[in-house]
Amino acid sequence: MSPAARKIVLPILAFALFIGLWELISVSLEIPVYLLPSPSAIWEGGAKLGTSLFTNTAVTLKTILLGFALSCAVGIPLGVLVSVNRLTSEAIYPLIVFLNAIPIISIAPILVVIFGTDETTRLIIVTLTAFFPIMVATATGIMDTPQEMLDLSRVAGAGPLTEILTIRLPHAVPFIFGGLRIGVTVAVIGAVVAEFVNANRGLGYLVTSSTAQFAIPTAMACVVMLAVVSVILYEAVNWTHRLLFGWSLRNDPGK
Amino acid sequence: MAMVPHLRPVDPAPSGAPQTLIELAHAGVTFRTRTGEDLTAVEDFNLRIQDGEIVSLVGPSGCGKSTVLRMLAGLQEPTNGDIWIGGGKRRRGFSEVAIVFQRPTLLPWLSVLKNVLYPVRALRRTTAADRARAQELLEMVGLGDMGGRMPHELSGGMQQRASIARSLILDPKILLMDEPFGALDALTREDMQLDLLDIHASTGKTILLVTHSINEAVLLSDRVAVMSARPGRLQELIDIDIPTPRTHETSAHPAFHDYTRRIRDNIFGPNARSHA
Ligand SMILES: Nc1ncnc2c1ncn2[C@@H]1O[C@H](COP(=O)(O)OP(=O)(O)O)[C@@H](O)[C@H]1O
Ligand SMILES: [Mg+2]
Repeated sequence: MSPAARKIVLPILAFALFIGLWELISVSLEIPVYLLPSPSAIWEGGAKLGTSLFTNTAVTLKTILLGFALSCAVGIPLGVLVSVNRLTSEAIYPLIVFLNAIPIISIAPILVVIFGTDETTRLIIVTLTAFFPIMVATATGIMDTPQEMLDLSRVAGAGPLTEILTIRLPHAVPFIFGGLRIGVTVAVIGAVVAEFVNANRGLGYLVTSSTAQFAIPTAMACVVMLAVVSVILYEAVNWTHRLLFGWSLRNDPGK
Repeated sequence: MAMVPHLRPVDPAPSGAPQTLIELAHAGVTFRTRTGEDLTAVEDFNLRIQDGEIVSLVGPSGCGKSTVLRMLAGLQEPTNGDIWIGGGKRRRGFSEVAIVFQRPTLLPWLSVLKNVLYPVRALRRTTAADRARAQELLEMVGLGDMGGRMPHELSGGMQQRASIARSLILDPKILLMDEPFGALDALTREDMQLDLLDIHASTGKTILLVTHSINEAVLLSDRVAVMSARPGRLQELIDIDIPTPRTHETSAHPAFHDYTRRIRDNIFGPNARSHA
């Protein structure tokens, strides 16, 4: 088997084995469904939801994507701001670190009271969860810019803004994508937290409402769906990176 | 950004006579180190370079050669003395000066052609004329068909050639080169030394070259400036009176060996100690 084929076949085999063992153990040990539902029970739980599983997935996905976009719109410029200038860095960085230190789950109910029970609040929660890794990665990339590249642009007569746009930001691209990969996974968590405290639709809402009715297999089906969404989004960030910024994937220690 | 109006000679000289293009007068740089101590990297440095000259700067490692180049490039403010370029005081963003580093420093996200165009892009939008000129420069350094490649597809020597093409795109009067061939293998280096002489012959640029190879300094230069160890001062200025055009046969010229020995004595001999 070629290495490429092995990379696909082996994980599928392992996954199938894992599901099979799980099914076998749940059935043979007769584990109650509310403790640990078997894969087939989860499947049935999901099937019970019918198309509403997918409409609710779409609702959550929209919150994740909008919130993630907002996180980028906030995180990348902030990352530039805190790294490009000592003054802004010393002034803002501690504040941002403090904001990030607040456990999002603890402040989420308060945000609902402040901003109301609509999508805006959910987006704020997702953004608060996901902007930080994006900001830190951007700042790291900006500060990592080799001195010679900066010298090059200065000798050519580039101003500070041109320097950021044509040297520092492009150099930071592989770093930023590292941040986006973490950010997108964290955005999924943020969206679920937001739906836990404030929603009447979405996968997070379905998990809490199904659990309240002891419909554990249905809740688990939603959890599995969330994991699938998370993996797909993570891969989507990777595809984007490869498609648009292929040059930054090679590690050339000579530079 | 304020630009120096235009190049005026420091001393109005009769036409035809060589004109001073660069002048360092008592130039010095003192760094404040992290521990709060002062470190004098360059001290009382005096040098005049004529239009069209090739001058090499040699000296022990850490003696301040790069600092002198960075002062001329506007990347380092002199803490003492003055620097004039073409009669104007040195300022940042002065595009009459271009710099070539030891490492090619091509931007990995741009094609080779766009790398050559980068200094234009740093100032304004590029035009079709700029692109044509970039292509010409690539052809001049022997990379005519490489413009569409990405930097990592080129060998180290080709990358350095591209960076030399890039340094010429704004048509600067002065080329500052900081050990430009230092990272290349010996054969590529010899090849590129002669290419630099060709470029000099066809463009008439004034070149200030930092090198750690005494042979390279003698082979390429009209004059060699020898610096003493820290604090870096100009220790001796040696005219290389070997006819041009120089070739690899030049190293067989009877005077060649005398020059290299004189420079070596200056750097390592007892004379060097008494100044430091
Ligand atoms: N930004 C800086 N801050 C403090 N010291 C510096 C700085 N740049 C250079 N130096 C010091 O100045 C001296 C001369 O450096 P440099 O000009 O790079 O020497 P060379 O190019 O001749 O090897 C060295 O001792 C170096 O450590
Ligand atoms: Mg140096």
